[in-house]
Amino acid sequence: MSSATEVNVSTGEANPYTPSVAADPIPFYDALRSHCPVATMEGMLGAGVYIISRYEDVRWALKHPEIFSSDLVAVDIGQDRPLIPLQIDPPEHAKYRRVIDPTLGPHEMAPLEDEIRMRVNEVIDQFVADGQVDAHAQFSVPLPGRVFLQMTGLPLEDLDLLLNWKDEIIRPGGGLLPPEEATPRRRAAGADLYGYFADVLKDRAENPGTDLLSRFFGTEVDGREMSNDEMLDICYLFILGGLDTVTSTLDCSLAYLAQNPQYRAALVQDPSLIPAAVEELLRFHTPVMQILRVLKQPTELHGVKMNTGDTVLLMLGAADTDPDEFGETAGEYCIDREVNRHLAFGGGPHRCLGSHLARLELRVALEEWHRRIPEYEITEGFELAYSPGIREVEKLPLEFKPLKLNPGV
Amino acid sequence: MSRMRILLDLDACTGHGRCYSLAPKVFGSDDLGHCELLLAEPPEELRESARRAVATCPEGALTIQETA
Repeated sequence: MSSATEVNVSTGEANPYTPSVAADPIPFYDALRSHCPVATMEGMLGAGVYIISRYEDVRWALKHPEIFSSDLVAVDIGQDRPLIPLQIDPPEHAKYRRVIDPTLGPHEMAPLEDEIRMRVNEVIDQFVADGQVDAHAQFSVPLPGRVFLQMTGLPLEDLDLLLNWKDEIIRPGGGLLPPEEATPRRRAAGADLYGYFADVLKDRAENPGTDLLSRFFGTEVDGREMSNDEMLDICYLFILGGLDTVTSTLDCSLAYLAQNPQYRAALVQDPSLIPAAVEELLRFHTPVMQILRVLKQPTELHGVKMNTGDTVLLMLGAADTDPDEFGETAGEYCIDREVNRHLAFGGGPHRCLGSHLARLELRVALEEWHRRIPEYEITEGFELAYSPGIREVEKLPLEFKPLKLNPGV
Repeated sequence: MSRMRILLDLDACTGHGRCYSLAPKVFGSDDLGHCELLLAEPPEELRESARRAVATCPEGALTIQETA
């Protein structure tokens, strides 16, 4: 069944939150953009939940936070307060970005490259001699977590704890629980996550280091010192925003390259193509399929009248495969795309805070993986299951020629 | 000789960093990751990469003026 069937052209309803859309979203995106550029969330006619899908519309919405607000505390991610800076609108938002962006900016990220390369090789070392791996559980999941622990000076033993809380918040019970069961689990995991970082921050206040978290102390926001709650709200976002997104991009990328040996061979032969491949994989797969906004004023688009307080899904994946922006090859992977102004990291003032780190991790991960494991394929007959929203796979069993341990770095 | 001049709208730039990745000799970044123009009038040999970088800005923060 094509994911295009998840768009009901006659009623203008659509549902992106299905496994078939997550597995193969492009027919769904095409149907949305062509037939209902402002769709209504399926089964929610009259409830004020809309889906915007064309590139220019999504880009316009991202650039107008005074209409499309991020003030989304109602969205249940187990939080006590808005996540900083994700759920803060301008002009407050800019005050936080001014102090957080430099800690994750390109000047700070470049010197981390060697250490990230070591983390990638440590992870690969764990399975390279086996000739097979669940690349989701053994590569895509641990890598961004290990890099985060390195940057924050937290012990490796805490990784499973943090990953478990993150999963309990983003997709409790695998993401298919009804709200009455999901909400308490999210709240419980959220409380644990706040508690964990409250202890860490207390320790860092007494024993400051040079890590990302220690640097918050003494940081001024709008002429006053950042409060403990504000630091916690940033930590909460780091866990929710920084781990799953890189995991899903690695999942989508490795799964795609495993199934398309000609594209993989190009990267093995000429690793200088990898930065362009990262951008094209981000565009083509847009692992974060959509982001949410809430309307601050009545707005009309393509004849659809939306009201203040309505929720809008900005379908980044549909924007990133729009032929009006990317031409005839919008629905194909093209490493030599001349212009690729994709929105996989969003856009406007909320452009992904961690995008410079994410790009570095993705590039180094693909460089080292293909240097050490040039040939790989998905275990025959295995059907990949993608999670909707953020496109991770449940399991990614890959087979390759077993290699001797040789990090060579 | 033809001239090429790049204009940066810093209010529109949100720090995607596509420009300085694609044309690192023409564009740099400040601490926040926002664009800094290194060469507002790039020489001939850097113009192709500069044009591509300008076209790739998702915010439309960069424009080019060319004179014969």
